[in-house]
Amino acid sequence: MAYFIVVLLDDKRFAKIKGTELEEKVQYMFGGELRCLNVEVSEEMKDRILKEFDTARIDSRGAITDVPVAFLRELFNQVVEKKDVGAAALEGVLAKVDEIKELAAKESEFLPAPEIEV
Amino acid sequence: MSSLIIERPLPHGGRLVERVIRDKEVAKKMIKGCPTYEIKPTLHYETGVPVRNVYREIMSICYGFFSPVEGSMKKAEVERILKERRLLNDWIFPYPLVFDISKEDYKNLGVEAGDRLVLNLKGKPFAILDIEEIWEIEDPEQLAHKTFGTPEDNPEVVKEPFNKKHPGWVIYRSLQPIVLAGKYTIINEPKFKPPFDRFWYPPRKAREEFDKRNWRTVIAHQTRNVPHVGHEFLMKNAAYTGDVEPCHGILVNAIIGVKRRGDYPDEAILEGQEAVTTAGYIKEDRRLTTMCLWDMRYGNPLESLLHGIIRQNMGCTHHMFGRDHAAVGEYYDKWATQILWTEGIPSFGFPKPPTDVPYGLQIRPQNMREFSYCPTCKEMAYSESCGHKREKLSGSFLRGMVAEGVQPPAIIMRPEVYKVIVKWWKHFNYPFCNEKYVINKEKELEVDLEDL
Repeated sequence: MAYFIVVLLDDKRFAKIKGTELEEKVQYMFGGELRCLNVEVSEEMKDRILKEFDTARIDSRGAITDVPVAFLRELFNQVVEKKDVGAAALEGVLAKVDEIKELAAKESEFLPAPEIEV
Repeated sequence: MSSLIIERPLPHGGRLVERVIRDKEVAKKMIKGCPTYEIKPTLHYETGVPVRNVYREIMSICYGFFSPVEGSMKKAEVERILKERRLLNDWIFPYPLVFDISKEDYKNLGVEAGDRLVLNLKGKPFAILDIEEIWEIEDPEQLAHKTFGTPEDNPEVVKEPFNKKHPGWVIYRSLQPIVLAGKYTIINEPKFKPPFDRFWYPPRKAREEFDKRNWRTVIAHQTRNVPHVGHEFLMKNAAYTGDVEPCHGILVNAIIGVKRRGDYPDEAILEGQEAVTTAGYIKEDRRLTTMCLWDMRYGNPLESLLHGIIRQNMGCTHHMFGRDHAAVGEYYDKWATQILWTEGIPSFGFPKPPTDVPYGLQIRPQNMREFSYCPTCKEMAYSESCGHKREKLSGSFLRGMVAEGVQPPAIIMRPEVYKVIVKWWKHFNYPFCNEKYVINKEKELEVDLEDL
């Protein structure tokens, strides 16, 4: 099975890759309702991610999900910095694993709710 | 009347178990002079975090969800379940259910077979256990392995050895060594707190509700999740089965109890399911959201067997099963549940499907494949119908989107459902189950009790 991690692109994130070679790699999902980049993950890298983050799981599409939000934010930073949607970006993320885990520990207590009327 | 018409099945075992005393004076007499034990949550054998509360099993047994089970199991019954998934009275059942206590508590209680033990919950009398046998779990790790199976013993469906990453395995591994076996009786009915109270339909009440709604055929939908549109389409389409007409009703039955970190809070699951109906995506007179108390074991085919039992007891004629039913990780084949219900799993004691063995079930499986978004059809499409390339939907992907603060497009999650998630997110300061939620929930529980 091929594994991947989806990096969602809101307008702010999209602005950071507009005009770069990454823009050509943007994918549109759900009838164009969502923009994203798919970061390819090797078998070995998948095992490393699952080992480091015990909430991580693989969904039916082969996507690695339920990693901390800090992981996903750093992955986007690394994708932009390395201009890569594969191993280089992921190695960059895992190089900061301690920092991410520290942030993730706080995330497991609190995440700010969106300001929408309920 | 057509001979093809399907009648509502009898409860599993032939009669509904109901072990609830409603007369407080009778209850007081029943417990006079009896020793008392305060129910404690089962704590993770390594971390000490709650993983189960036996009160949920007592509730589900005494209100008949688990009929014909009537109490905590004797050693011979547990051994038979582990060998062939049958109770001592021959009816099929997937899991050992026991009232376990520590050796220290056992010593302090000083009870023996023949004694009646009063079980307190939140400091108030809740139930009694009439002890018939006391036995010891010698090796909880072996019990856990035997409960879920191993790749060697159950090669048809078990793909990986179970371990401490599996929450159901952890429950059995964490059991205390002394089992007090015998029948439970609730002597002081707990009162459900909102929002749980309006979703409480124990089997007798569920059957009465089906009568009121003129539902002859009802298809059950198992959930431990806030629904996305893929779930909604699964429900709508599975309900086209029935007999000479589509199923009259769709029964959503949410499993309420300790969940995995990252699952949605129970409150959001129930109200999110309800929102599908109140917002009109499925008519209110066609769909009912209910719950059952149970700390999920995530046992895929075995869990599906329990689900079949629960929903047959509630009066359902059909049960929808999908991929990775009640599963976590890759321990089981992703179609293990459907294999059980179409072929059987001999190593688990089912040479034929559970509907085709003696003392089996009557509820009919409706095995479904997957719904996903088709950009060509511009709608949710069924994997076995649509010939285009589709985009798979997954709950995990949606959770990631929610955590990042991105509202999912309406094509994959209804805005009314998303609002429910945010409502409970604001309440708990977190969108999913985390350690704090689980610890607090196990302290507060879903119920309160009055004085007896």
